[in-house]
Amino acid sequence: MSSEPGGGGGDLQTPPTGEPLAADSTAYAPSVAERLEIYQRAGGIVTPVITAVFAFFMGGMVVLATGHNPWKVYQGIFTGSGLNWFFHVGHHSITVPFTSHHVWFPWNTSIQSNAAYNLQQTLILTTTLILTGLAVAFAFRCGLFNIGGQGQYLIGVITGIWIGTTFPHLARGPHILLAIAVASACGAAWAAIAGFLKATTGAHEVITTIMLNWIAYWIGSYLFGQGGPLQNSTNPSVPVSDSVVNSAKLPVFWGNAALQGLHIGFFIALGALVAFWFVLNRTTLGYEVRAVGFNPEAARYGGISVARNYIVAMAIAGGFAGLAGVLDMLGYQYRFGVLDVQTSQLGFIGIAVALLGRNKAVGVALSALLFASLLYGTSSRSIDQTVLKPELAGNLTLMIQALVLLFVGADVLIMALWQARRRVLPRRLKPSPPASETA
Amino acid sequence: MEAAPVLELRGITKRFPGVLANDHVDFDLRRGEVHALLGENGAGKSTLMNILYGLYSADEGEIVVNGKPVTFSSPHDAIAQGIGMVHQHFMLIPVMSVTENIVLATEPTKAGVFLDYAGARKRVEEISERFGFAIAPDARIQDITVGQQQRVEILKALYRNADILILDEPTAVLTPQEATELFAILKDLVDEGMSIIFISHKLNEVLDIADRITVLRRGKMIDTIPREGATEAGLARSMVGREVLLRVDKKPASPGETLMEVEDVRVVDDRGLEAVRGISFHVRAGEIVGIAGVDGNGQTELIDALTGLRRPAGGRIVIEGHDLTNANADAHLEAGLGHIPEDRQRRGLVLEFSLAENLVLHDYDKEPYSRFGTLSPRRIFDRARKLLRDYDVRGGNPRTPAGALSGGNQQKVVVAREVSRNPRVLIAAQPTRGLDVGAIEFVHRQLVAERDAGRGVLLVSLELDEILSLSDRILVIYEGRIAGEYSPDVSEEELGIAMTGGGREEVAA
Amino acid sequence: MAVRAEPRPQWRGLTPRETGVLGILLGCFAFLLALPPISARAPWWPALAGLAAIGAGIWALTSGVRRIGWFAISAGILGTVLGVLATNTAASKLDYVVSWTPLFTAMFAFATPLTFAAIGGMFSERSGVVNIGLEGMMLTGAFFAVLGADKLGNWSLGLLCAVVAGGVAALIHAFVSIHLRADQIVSGTAINFLALGVTGYFFIQVYGDNGTPGSISQVPNVNIPGIDRIQFIGDVFGHLNLMIWLMFATLIVSYIVMFRTPLGLRIRSVGEHPRAADTVGISVYKTRYGAVILSGMLSALGGAYLSIGFLGSFNENMTAGRGFIGLAALIFGNWRPFGAFAAALLFGFSTALSFRLADPWPSPSVLFQALPYVLTLIAVVGVIGRSIPPAASGRPYRKQ
Repeated sequence: MSSEPGGGGGDLQTPPTGEPLAADSTAYAPSVAERLEIYQRAGGIVTPVITAVFAFFMGGMVVLATGHNPWKVYQGIFTGSGLNWFFHVGHHSITVPFTSHHVWFPWNTSIQSNAAYNLQQTLILTTTLILTGLAVAFAFRCGLFNIGGQGQYLIGVITGIWIGTTFPHLARGPHILLAIAVASACGAAWAAIAGFLKATTGAHEVITTIMLNWIAYWIGSYLFGQGGPLQNSTNPSVPVSDSVVNSAKLPVFWGNAALQGLHIGFFIALGALVAFWFVLNRTTLGYEVRAVGFNPEAARYGGISVARNYIVAMAIAGGFAGLAGVLDMLGYQYRFGVLDVQTSQLGFIGIAVALLGRNKAVGVALSALLFASLLYGTSSRSIDQTVLKPELAGNLTLMIQALVLLFVGADVLIMALWQARRRVLPRRLKPSPPASETA
Repeated sequence: MEAAPVLELRGITKRFPGVLANDHVDFDLRRGEVHALLGENGAGKSTLMNILYGLYSADEGEIVVNGKPVTFSSPHDAIAQGIGMVHQHFMLIPVMSVTENIVLATEPTKAGVFLDYAGARKRVEEISERFGFAIAPDARIQDITVGQQQRVEILKALYRNADILILDEPTAVLTPQEATELFAILKDLVDEGMSIIFISHKLNEVLDIADRITVLRRGKMIDTIPREGATEAGLARSMVGREVLLRVDKKPASPGETLMEVEDVRVVDDRGLEAVRGISFHVRAGEIVGIAGVDGNGQTELIDALTGLRRPAGGRIVIEGHDLTNANADAHLEAGLGHIPEDRQRRGLVLEFSLAENLVLHDYDKEPYSRFGTLSPRRIFDRARKLLRDYDVRGGNPRTPAGALSGGNQQKVVVAREVSRNPRVLIAAQPTRGLDVGAIEFVHRQLVAERDAGRGVLLVSLELDEILSLSDRILVIYEGRIAGEYSPDVSEEELGIAMTGGGREEVAA
Repeated sequence: MAVRAEPRPQWRGLTPRETGVLGILLGCFAFLLALPPISARAPWWPALAGLAAIGAGIWALTSGVRRIGWFAISAGILGTVLGVLATNTAASKLDYVVSWTPLFTAMFAFATPLTFAAIGGMFSERSGVVNIGLEGMMLTGAFFAVLGADKLGNWSLGLLCAVVAGGVAALIHAFVSIHLRADQIVSGTAINFLALGVTGYFFIQVYGDNGTPGSISQVPNVNIPGIDRIQFIGDVFGHLNLMIWLMFATLIVSYIVMFRTPLGLRIRSVGEHPRAADTVGISVYKTRYGAVILSGMLSALGGAYLSIGFLGSFNENMTAGRGFIGLAALIFGNWRPFGAFAAALLFGFSTALSFRLADPWPSPSVLFQALPYVLTLIAVVGVIGRSIPPAASGRPYRKQ
């Protein structure tokens, strides 16, 4: 059965000797683990950074070609995102939580600070993107490409609105917990459909999650639309839901609650990052998921059920996306409409977040911050109109995001460029040790 | 027989990283002969033929066709020189018809643009009839038998006017009856003036079909002899060689109670063909049972069935009283089975995982390595450190990814994991494939130590030396059946003949 | 052939396959009975026809014709349910919703962009490159068609611009996924975002807040003289847009290319078993490049139809998922041109119907739009005979 190009010892570089005769529909796309292997091997942070730099550079070229100053544009986005807040260090004070004590703090947390406000908005978006990023990343670690983050997010939104607008007599804590639990569970169930179909019939998860996205899209349009079950009760001509009742709103811990301050969902997202890392690296479940993701055949040999892990991994991924949806509803949006269903992109951006973050917790956190800054920094509320029209800037964000994806896909090219740089710069005589060697 | 060679290979050398696959091989083919290329797995036969077909380029040496030196950079060039190849894994498109597969890339057209299917079909029928191939030109490849598929491959070459035909292990996928039919076809082709290179490792069929026989061993050409002077014993000797005889110090076995019972097991392979056709044997405590055989005679499927990775189509598998016939891999592990798999990189290890993680592949969900679903890295690492030290794994610490180790050390990791679980029965499938001498010795010592500790060991190997030096009983597998049981003092020749289907009446035509 | 004369039965009966097809037709008929112009008002009429359809389906199913059998059973159930529902609704509403002429005209209009995208996707996927960037390529075509038609003053040049732009978008996908062997899903997703960003950016840059001008040269309708006299046919086909006729032509030509020429054979061989194609001297890379670029051009035509054929304007993200429905049609149609076209017609019809339904029943009609995706999901899962993709699609090819 085996080919023999390399004699007895050639099993390291045995070329594939043709596909098996039977068309196996499970191999519809290349193994994600194969790609993953490249990302993990590519040496720490180098590839993602080059990828991002390249994407920003190309985006800048478009800006330049259309007669704007890219440097100023990026500066404007940076300021708009509120990230400049960190650079204004001074003598300020902060209240210690649950007390009235003020202590010294290097940054200005005052509500009046424009930068602080912008940063709050960026962090609100970061919250969502961390979770939708984790939804893609977790499935990826199991060798599954979850394109369905958007649909799972919408399911989270829908259930969040439903629970958040009904049960007006519940106390705050139970109401929030109930909404979060149910929305995450529904997101998980929605995603698990794709996992289940993959495990039982071999239907490719990319196709099924795309279809599930659009089904969720139309369910959302129906529910919030005119005459829909979740449409608001006061104005039947507007296809928007009711507002989430006060008892279901998440507390705001930084900024003015009336002006979209930063809600505690931010900590839930940070907690999700820790949970993601912990589950993957410290639990038997994560062990199984990673084994299946890297090498399903070896996992099976080790006594792990590949099918079960496909379902579980998709469910967890969907749980993250559903959580993102419900936090957005309870945290700052409070209501959702048909137009929001149609324009919402946060679930899709999760793909870029996860891939740029190399499907790791820290990477997802950083790239979520990057994309959130871009998103808010280019929004009409924040960018300086004289630098670039916000509509243009918003599309610039989309382009950069697309370029990130292209370059993540073209990692072979990025790595080749990185290697070429070493040849071009002969001064560095000693190449740094490969990352895989360091303990 | 003094015809000029239609094809000559002179001093072909091909290196792969770390391996010399072909070492100055000379080979020539005369018009109208069948020239067999004989050698064990890994002897370099396929590499040589891939060079001849333009799939690889040689590092040294030249190819001469009809007296003219040629260079092939792609199969296209080889086809242009009249060379056709029937690959071991057919290059056919399952969902397309026979005719479509045959004419692909040399399609006849109507009006310059349309596929002239009727014309193509007619030509296919003509050629097919001329050589007596009973092939339905409109049948889809996936609906016809493997034997017929092979004829389509031959037709592909004939359609392109090939006069040199390379057949790579053509009988590996055929039933004996189909093989007989193939030989009849080949004889017809030779009568029509074709020259055929016939690659095989089965002695009986080579003696049956070839005019001359060239033996390759470890990339080197050993001998070219006419069929008249060849004997099974002589060919087996030059094919197997007797270079490194690894003798292992071991005491005579003292077998105890029966640990593993296999009764009339039948297994179907990925293509739906019965690869294991009713095998029965048993393994007792304190003995090594070796299964010898040439690759592709059902070993892989048998091991899969014995380890719970493939459901048998029939029969019974019992380990220490537990009926595991339809159980999954996990149940086999629980019942006390250890399994050193055939392919450590595809199956035995998760190359991206650290050594510590690989070492708990079977036990990650058991105490003390995890509790309440939470892994205990410290215990996992402690165990890994101990095992890496005990089994002398070099080139890594518990955090090193398994893929960073050399093949020998990877195998040590696999052995360490399987042996340290104290299995009752240990199945070792080609445990020394691709290893250096030191690592081979290590693995062999471990297997013997396991036997002496009272475990049952089942060793499946393609290496005769290994089988002979380790086994207490030897079973020979041939075409999915046990072709005989031997004691370890059997001669290599006798074993070699049994492995290649010799001495069996019904196979010889 | 047969020498022995077998007594031939007078009535050989229907084959299971034919019975299944009959069942599907019966199922549709069950619904039709309750609709104008027949407008049966008694619920047992559709129920009777529906039961017959289910019976035919079950018989086909038990005789081994799974796909069609299941279709017949579903058609029977659906036909019964919808038919009975229809008999219970006001006749005036029915008359409004089910006016066949506008429904069919709209069906062709909605199916056209889907068909272009699906045929485009067929070329790409048949050659072994998964293309979920159809949506983006379509959007690119929609924008550059408007840009070309506006700036060059002529719709035909607009179409040319669209085709070129779609081809370039596809070229990026081709290069990244063929030469750089990137994950084709990642690359396709990137193309979708890139198209969204680029068209949105240049739309704002060029047209600003005012949107595209109203005077853009549009693809004309084709008025067939004399056909108006034929009832129904004349109304439906008499004034179709030129692009719709172009779609019909594309459909037929692409069928011929794919299944009746050497080129099509080679494209399919590359998508099924690239190494086999390679060993007989077909360039896998060239074939895939050509097929992917063609897919971009065809999708772009679908987008161009939306912008300068149908609406006469462009707005951001105007394709709104039609590329994905095209992909769904391709999968539902089992990667075959007429199958994809039939699926596109079905999806187009469901869209047309949901628009007609929107007046009397605004809310539930929205759910109708999810139908293409639900059906595709069912097709992929294989309950009703699985859609099987080309064997090598999605797998980068590496030459030896």
